[in-house]
Amino acid sequence: MILLRIIIDALFLIGGFFALAGVVGVIRMPDSYCRMQASTNTATLGALGILAGTSLYGFFVLNSLAIGVKSIVIGLFILFSNPVASHAIARAAKRCGVYMLNKSGCDQYGRDNPQ
Amino acid sequence: MSGQRTLGFVSTFILCFITWIAFTLAFTVQEILGGLIVSFLVSLISSRFLIHEDPLYLFNPSRLLGALAYIPLFIRELVKANIDVAKRSLNPKLPINPGIVKVPTELKSEYGLAMLCNSITLTPGTISMDIVEEGGKNQIYIHWIDVQSKNPKEAGDMIKGSLESGVRRIWK
Repeated sequence: MILLRIIIDALFLIGGFFALAGVVGVIRMPDSYCRMQASTNTATLGALGILAGTSLYGFFVLNSLAIGVKSIVIGLFILFSNPVASHAIARAAKRCGVYMLNKSGCDQYGRDNPQ
Repeated sequence: MSGQRTLGFVSTFILCFITWIAFTLAFTVQEILGGLIVSFLVSLISSRFLIHEDPLYLFNPSRLLGALAYIPLFIRELVKANIDVAKRSLNPKLPINPGIVKVPTELKSEYGLAMLCNSITLTPGTISMDIVEEGGKNQIYIHWIDVQSKNPKEAGDMIKGSLESGVRRIWK
């Protein structure tokens, strides 16, 4: 039982760490696209780590099937809906001409779709 | 309604109902009845948007095995990319080199392209922005936080890595 608690707490810790890294990235990154890259951190390993922890906690500590299954379903929803949203935001931002830091000098979307 | 459309409707209905059951997990008469009505209405409206091809395409042993094998592959890539971006954003020097690259892919079917693009976006460090068809091949525009190669082929190998071969085992 103590081993299970250690695993659950480790999952929470991993989730919290990546969420923190994502937030720091959102504040520090220079343009909107790079900010979105950092915020994917929070959405994937941050949320998924915490949800994996809650589902284990629900199944084995609270002995409640409902909490465990719901955590898994919420995780699946995040996995399906988050990439679609960030794809749409990135494409719309680029088409509207939102500023992009072009450090590498490699903007093949702008080259092929001049405004 | 043709046979294909009916089969699409039924499979969407079953998917909706399973989701409802997983979310409520209360096996009383009113919950089940409400779930049946809601999933009927939802699949009536949305089944023709969800299913364009053969609804039973995935139910084939080799494709199901491919889908199962994709899960550990994807989790490995996810953890690797997350650690990489977390290191970049916590590093005081902020070592980034952003740009947009255009990458060719061998995939043809809608579901395969959607799955590959979603996987690329979910791994931090890369966001798929658009898909165009050029010369019989689909090309994906990808915003990459650390451009290591401007050559489409090399960049494609670095970004997609083993993801594309994993997706190709499931979809065309």
